[in-house]
Amino acid sequence: MAVTPLTYHILMALADADRHGYGIIKEIGLRLGQDEEPSTGALYVALQRMDGEGLITDTDPPAGEAGEADPRRRYYRLTPAGREAARAESSRLAALLAAARAKDLISATGER
Amino acid sequence: MRAPLTERLVAAVLRLAPRPFRDRFAGELLATHRARAAERGGVAFALREVAGAVAAVLRLRVGGRSGFQSDGSRSTTRAEGQLAGMLRDLGLAGRGLRRAPGFAVAAVLVTGLGIGASTAIFSALNAFLFRPLPMADSDRLVLVYETNPEFDWTHETAAPANALDWADQVEAFSAVALYSSFTDELTWLREGEPQLLTVVLVSGNFFDVLGVPPAAGRVFRPEESWADGAAENRVVISHAMWQRYFAGDPAVAGRTLELASGVRAEVVGVAPEGFSFPSDGADLWAPWGWDPAAREAVWFRRAHFVRPVARLTPGVSMTAADAQLQTVVGRLQTAYPETNRVMGAGLMPLRDFLVMDVRTSLEVLAGAVLLLMVLAAVNVATLVLLRSGDRTREVALRHALGAGRWRVVRHLAAEGLVLGGVAAALGLAAGVAGVTAVGRLTRLGIDGATAPALDVRVVAFATGLGLLCAILFTLIPAARLWRVPARAALSAAGARGASRGRQGTRALRALVTAEVALGLLLVAGAVLMVRTFQELRQVDAGFRAEGVLAVQLTVPTSRYPERAHVLAFQRDLLAALEGRAGIERAGMVQQLPLGGPGWSSQFQARGWPPERVGLDIVHRRADRGYFEALDIPLVRGRLFEASDGSDTEQVVLVNERFAAMHFPGEDPIGQYIAYDREATEASTWRRIIGIVGDHHQTSVREPPRAEVFEHPEQSEWSRTNWYVVRGAGAAAAHTANVRAVLSQLDPLVPLEQVRTLREVRRAAMATDELVLVVLTVFGFLALVLATVGVYGVTAQAARRRTREIGIRMAVGADGGQVLRLVLLQGAGTVVAGILLGLAAALLLTRAMSGLLYGVTPTDPATLAVVAAVLAGAALVAMLVPALRAARVDPGGLLRAE
Repeated sequence: MAVTPLTYHILMALADADRHGYGIIKEIGLRLGQDEEPSTGALYVALQRMDGEGLITDTDPPAGEAGEADPRRRYYRLTPAGREAARAESSRLAALLAAARAKDLISATGER
Repeated sequence: MRAPLTERLVAAVLRLAPRPFRDRFAGELLATHRARAAERGGVAFALREVAGAVAAVLRLRVGGRSGFQSDGSRSTTRAEGQLAGMLRDLGLAGRGLRRAPGFAVAAVLVTGLGIGASTAIFSALNAFLFRPLPMADSDRLVLVYETNPEFDWTHETAAPANALDWADQVEAFSAVALYSSFTDELTWLREGEPQLLTVVLVSGNFFDVLGVPPAAGRVFRPEESWADGAAENRVVISHAMWQRYFAGDPAVAGRTLELASGVRAEVVGVAPEGFSFPSDGADLWAPWGWDPAAREAVWFRRAHFVRPVARLTPGVSMTAADAQLQTVVGRLQTAYPETNRVMGAGLMPLRDFLVMDVRTSLEVLAGAVLLLMVLAAVNVATLVLLRSGDRTREVALRHALGAGRWRVVRHLAAEGLVLGGVAAALGLAAGVAGVTAVGRLTRLGIDGATAPALDVRVVAFATGLGLLCAILFTLIPAARLWRVPARAALSAAGARGASRGRQGTRALRALVTAEVALGLLLVAGAVLMVRTFQELRQVDAGFRAEGVLAVQLTVPTSRYPERAHVLAFQRDLLAALEGRAGIERAGMVQQLPLGGPGWSSQFQARGWPPERVGLDIVHRRADRGYFEALDIPLVRGRLFEASDGSDTEQVVLVNERFAAMHFPGEDPIGQYIAYDREATEASTWRRIIGIVGDHHQTSVREPPRAEVFEHPEQSEWSRTNWYVVRGAGAAAAHTANVRAVLSQLDPLVPLEQVRTLREVRRAAMATDELVLVVLTVFGFLALVLATVGVYGVTAQAARRRTREIGIRMAVGADGGQVLRLVLLQGAGTVVAGILLGLAAALLLTRAMSGLLYGVTPTDPATLAVVAAVLAGAALVAMLVPALRAARVDPGGLLRAE
């Protein structure tokens, strides 16, 4: 099953740590650059949907970040299903990339 | 602190999201948005956040794109598929526009400006015309006024006895509330400190009839119109005062206010939030508490000072109510000939009455903003047409790749929606900012009842305009690109544009003609208003404003109970003021010039036959110092002297207008007058001793009326008066002098109002100034828009002919000839626009005649100047591309071929 780019980026952002919404956006920005960050509205629509699909769940702030945080902020964590979806999409993309390499579109390191 | 505009917009949009989403995510979403905004900021980010919120709500509300692509395992319904397609179109359109940033920015700016200006004016109109009055069933409330053809009264305040008779005898009125047509000031000794409060006197049923429930305590009872011998006055305080001085204490009812007059006032209740009718500054309301004997007294039918608001009985029309009212009026004319012989009455919806004075201004502003919006739309249409010319190739390519015509239209519609949406958001923001700015300049909305606010109507208005523009953005290029044949446009000739039809060019020229015409119309409106303002400023109001300061104060009853005490205080104050270094002259007057006409009456001179009556004269109490401080000239006779006083012969001054109107060819000096329609033995006679220069009583526009000036010690007296001082230096600087004098004389008497006569002069033109500012801004915007339109079309025409120009130059044409060629091509369009605009101006500026002064709406000089300005701006707009064309290097061009 294929997921949208935004879903995939959110899954990626949560793969190594629990993050709040702002943290997720910053993580996406690191990879794509600021101009490609999703709007805040789009992010939360995606979060609600992914929560409904059982890909993520919300959680308490990690120890050490609890006190300073805005009380309105919540943290999100990957569920096992979410981790599985991220793996599946990554392999699908990897397979696509392998095909692209085989056709000499890019080099093994990704250069054109 | 208020949240930044973007955050407020995002929050407003989120309010439309489904409940579960809002409850769970709204707060967090805003926190995240704020964190991002703090880090990034910028217009692009703000626009994206707002657009993102709108898209999010759309997606949540209409289902929209699921997390999976339609070819995924998840099944999608047909509707979902279409929505997904629409959203994809929107995304594509957004990206497409990003590739044409010049066009997108120009289109969004021009439309946003148009929508912004319209939204600002609409929010003002909304406050005056549409926002609900803070009263129950306000469309059943009518204002009843009195008329008197002899005095030229059209919407006069009523005499209380008449109003009470209407309430009793007109069955169509279920009840009639009365309020005072002016506010009073009283001094509250709050913990010993004098604090000035504004009080509105009302009838006991005022709150009940208007349908205004108390926020705490109770409102007045109907019987409280009349004095019942209670030791304490009762007041209802405003919500603002309740919050400010009583911290919203729910048990405020029963507290008493110690007034400087020695009276104690008991707070019985609190008015609801947002209600301060009839004056924004109202701190409290008090019932009149008339002596019940007044009901039968003559003065109760002669003095006109109440505004009656009647509630219509359910099911009764205004017309039926008016018919009943006229019957009662006729009855009163017969029953009380002495006071009511020529007194008529009429009624109108309360709101209509409250906006009566500004209606013409509102209509002109609405008309102007409509024109500006049309101009903006025409301008964008021009831009879109110019762009669609350049897009023929893109569309042909799409056709060639198999996209149907409808697919292309759908793409255009998505683009239109994106542009319209962003423009509407921008316009809404600009409009709100604009109306806030104007609101600072002058009060907007109905006094004490409404103010501009970002309500549903304003948002719907801006959104509607955005949609309208979106449709324009779609239809124009759709009509133009509908027939693009796939092959032709892709050919080399198509790419260069030589095969483009004449149709597009003709449409462009028509649009530019319209732009120039609309621009001319708006600039004409602005210039007419500028001329009016200049004329108004030059009107000699009849008094000198430089260096004159006026202060108002009330001599309190507690320490100055009798008339003699009050007069002594006034004499002491004036003497002390004149004794102060820096003050040259001090005087006293009941009412400042341009502050209203005082009371009006009629008179007879001794020896006149009974049928000769001097109608429509106004009165003012003033001492000698008033005339001298304001440099109001003595034309003939003498001013009041120290020898005139309470015990000597009653003497008055009249103005020149009085002399000319009532004693034409006679000498008024030495005549005796009495303020009676038919003088009798009992009449009080006053001798005219001098004629003074005219000064404007009500407004700069209204010519001075015939006026009588009475000696302050010889007429009715009042505790509240204006004191004027003139001295060297700036008028405002005398405030300290006056305060110092007053604190020596009696530190417990506060200054109620302090104004320089310059401010008085300026305030008299506040509405004119508002209309002037708005129309000037519009005129300027219109000029810019028209210029941009002319530039865009000329530049494109010149670009299209680059090749031809190159050839011409290669065969010997010089720069001057090329210049002429390009200019002449556009000149026809511009001249046609100017002529069309002039014709429209001759027809339309008439609507402004009520606002103009000293200049006719079709003033030839104004129109000539405006035409010249438009022609000049158009010439500049055409010169830029023309000069560029004349510098074409023919060699390079032909080599490129």
